[in-house]
Amino acid sequence: MSGKEIDIGLKVLDHQLLDKDGRRCGNVDDLAIEGGPGEVPEVVAILVGPGYWGQRAGWIGRLAGWIGGGRRVRVEWKDVSKLDSAIELKRGATELGLGRGDDRLRPYVDKIPGSGR
Amino acid sequence: MNKVLGLALGILAAIGGFVDIGDLVFNVAAGATFGYQLMWVVVVGVIGIMVYSEMCGRVAAVSGKAVFDAVRERVGFKAALGALISSEIVNLMTLAAEIGGVAISLQLLSGLPYRWLIVLAIAGFAIVIWVTSFEWLERVFGYGGLCMLVFAVAAVKLGPDWAKVGKGFIPHVAHNNKLLYAYFAIGLLGAAMTPYEVYFYSSGGVEDRWSPKDIGLNRANAILGYTLGGFLSLALMIVGGALFLVHGISPEHLGTIALGAEQPLGQVGLLLALVGILFAVGGASIDTVFSGAYNLAQFCGWEWGRYRHPRGAPRFALTWVVLLVLALGIVMTGVDPVILTEYAVIFSVAALPLTYVPILLVANDKAYMGSYRNGRLANVLGLVYLVVIMIVALTAIPLMVLTNAGQN
Repeated sequence: MSGKEIDIGLKVLDHQLLDKDGRRCGNVDDLAIEGGPGEVPEVVAILVGPGYWGQRAGWIGRLAGWIGGGRRVRVEWKDVSKLDSAIELKRGATELGLGRGDDRLRPYVDKIPGSGR
Repeated sequence: MNKVLGLALGILAAIGGFVDIGDLVFNVAAGATFGYQLMWVVVVGVIGIMVYSEMCGRVAAVSGKAVFDAVRERVGFKAALGALISSEIVNLMTLAAEIGGVAISLQLLSGLPYRWLIVLAIAGFAIVIWVTSFEWLERVFGYGGLCMLVFAVAAVKLGPDWAKVGKGFIPHVAHNNKLLYAYFAIGLLGAAMTPYEVYFYSSGGVEDRWSPKDIGLNRANAILGYTLGGFLSLALMIVGGALFLVHGISPEHLGTIALGAEQPLGQVGLLLALVGILFAVGGASIDTVFSGAYNLAQFCGWEWGRYRHPRGAPRFALTWVVLLVLALGIVMTGVDPVILTEYAVIFSVAALPLTYVPILLVANDKAYMGSYRNGRLANVLGLVYLVVIMIVALTAIPLMVLTNAGQN
């Protein structure tokens, strides 16, 4: 994860997250950056979920986030395996608390015939 | 050989799939009001959708990103949220109009009550999309939509004044009723450049796992498919000019449009026209409902895909189900699908820059596209169309108000 310089605003923020199995499990909704005055700021975590939308887009973001359920998940930077056109993670989505909406809905979907292979 | 066959089949499906209720309404109405004077606008619109579809397909092939992924990454959260909200509203209006169109064609074919047929159509779509594979659906609706070619035969049979038709390709402004002329011009552009087509197209490219070696296929698809679809749009306008304008009929009902094929071709023409409209509008309903689900899923980072069964992408599936239910509510109020179409097209024009500006930015971005970024031709055309899009977006709603939605 070191060596090459990247623009986190353009290459990380708002990008797709893929878990270790290539499952789409959210977008990078915000970043947690640490470092005081005089220090080099460091990205410590990826913040995922509608709960972070308010800080991105004011009242309309808050409203959209509220409609979206307001969930917040923090993924530590050390769990990132690769920055490609998507952000690839080292662990599974369920383990990281991501993609929970799909996981919760799946049992209901399964009850309807014809829902999958 | 297989590839050629695949391309041919894809293009056939595209002809049937290009024309939706927006094209039907605006092309025939423009012909019935201004004869062949607006033919050139159809050409401008078709080239526009080609240029931007080609860019979207290329972005999908090179970066593996569908439109809304790219929009959010490139223009940021706030602008992307605005684009999402406006596109979902326009999409839902379009979906409701298309479903209304399906119910009207079914009604004219069967004689059953309109509202029953709305419910039947929506339940039918829900079940078929849930259970069957998308490939099959796309082909069936694409080939069924080919019955629309009856309008091309009708256009020739009606014996239009071809010299006048030819003159219609030269850009000009009408001598009288300039506002109404401008309103129709904007509607025709909007109908040809409907944004849901590019959302749908680019998401399909990502799902088909296009890579840079598919760029040629993408180009061929965009150019051939839309050219042939554009011919059908022109045929509709000719029917409008050669039949409805001459007889002073204003086609305010979808059934009237089908009569455009009956007059020159008899009962068979009418039947083919109604079946063609049914499949064209039905196919467009499916494309629209998926586009709405793609955009939301891509904005939120959910699993998505039309080839995925609902189990693989539950929230995506829930989204399209909810969209169908909302559309059901809208159509059941009894709102006229033709009027709904006009509003959907004009609102979509007002929101066009939100879709097409980010696409142009992304297709030009070296970081995404490397050596596949826009060449000079794509950029010149892209910029010219950007100016066109900005102008029409700003004038669309004022013109709609001034002309009372084309009524005077």
